[in-house]
Amino acid sequence: MASLRAVILAFISLVAIALPAHAQTSAEDMVRRMAIDITAEVRKNPDLAQSQAQLTSLAERRLMPHFNFERITQLAMGRNWAKASSAEQRQIVSEFSKLLIRTYSNALASLKDLNVQVRDSRKNGNDVTVRTHMIGRAKPVAIDYSLESSGGGWRVFDVTVEGLSLVTTYRDEFNGMISSSGVSGLIAMLKQKNGK
Amino acid sequence: MKSSRATLLATAFLASLSAPSFAQNQQVNDPIEPVNRGIFAINELLDTILIKPIVVTYNTVIPKPIRTGIGNVFSNLDDVFIGANHVLQGRGKDAGTSFGRVIVNSTVGLGGLIDIASMNGLQKGEGDFGQTLGVWGVGAGPYIVLPVLGPSNARDTVGRAARIASDPRTYMPKAWSYSLTGAEYVQMRADNAENADMVDKFSFDKYSFTRSLYMQRRNSLVTSGKEASSAP
Repeated sequence: MASLRAVILAFISLVAIALPAHAQTSAEDMVRRMAIDITAEVRKNPDLAQSQAQLTSLAERRLMPHFNFERITQLAMGRNWAKASSAEQRQIVSEFSKLLIRTYSNALASLKDLNVQVRDSRKNGNDVTVRTHMIGRAKPVAIDYSLESSGGGWRVFDVTVEGLSLVTTYRDEFNGMISSSGVSGLIAMLKQKNGK
Repeated sequence: MKSSRATLLATAFLASLSAPSFAQNQQVNDPIEPVNRGIFAINELLDTILIKPIVVTYNTVIPKPIRTGIGNVFSNLDDVFIGANHVLQGRGKDAGTSFGRVIVNSTVGLGGLIDIASMNGLQKGEGDFGQTLGVWGVGAGPYIVLPVLGPSNARDTVGRAARIASDPRTYMPKAWSYSLTGAEYVQMRADNAENADMVDKFSFDKYSFTRSLYMQRRNSLVTSGKEASSAP
């Protein structure tokens, strides 16, 4: 009897572990697939680094669909999000995503001689953090992706490079900007950065 | 048990430093921001008119392999301190790696000129006295911009003082000590030239950007130190 109960218990706990574990695996798979897709395309095109247009196009096709820019912007705005009108919110999301794509598309070219290695993942409520190592340089670079589940897929809402979180970094900047020149000042600054 | 007394002392000292700091800003602990901004501006100016030109000259005059060699020598000396901090943090495995690096690089690596250890899987670790204090439970305290040296916080300033006190260069003749330290500074600035350009390009407000990056980076080093010290 005792052994049967043990089997049932073990089975139940296995299912309980397996369910979130499955969710985590699929998040890991998503990061892995995204990395493989992008590196494959970067390697096919040796003069990618010279063409800003091509880099942007690569980011728009392969990266953007996997990112939730609205949530990234909301998190970066923090308590200031509520201070912006809905028109301003839309404008900030659009300008900020432009800025992020411009900033990070340049980094994509360096994937030519780097590889992304998924280490593990941790569940945090409904979100999952997938920890990766970028290898190929003298020292592996730790990059963590925070993902949320959305309609069967996974979307990234923060990226942390060696402990530096994208959202936290911009939150501090946005906060400073908004307290000195308001939401409109922030929008003007974003536009100015994008114009350059 | 020496370490717990040291922790206690450091905690008391830091608590006294950081006590009045919560009033102004909930998210960023920077009670002396106006002073910090002033020092930051002076550092930036120094960097532009003095240090950057030296770094550019250094990078043009001295060929890359020699620069790498010089960087490796400083890095080898630093590994001694990194290893010592791994011991203080109770990270046996990491301490073994760090001291292993020193032994390999000082001998086969010709006195540290060649980083043979990295080529053989002994990766360079992260460790400093500020991190050790953090692993022992000391909070970061308020953000401080040090003249010339740049971003810091109360805890890391104490850590830096400990590093200086335990560095053999401190006890060398002044001319030696200054030129070695100056060379290391230039080397470090040269290593970080790319990062500095990134900050220029992407930040809205360079001061708060730098502050944010510094505080996050230090937090993450303390967290990873804690994780490593509780690992079997």
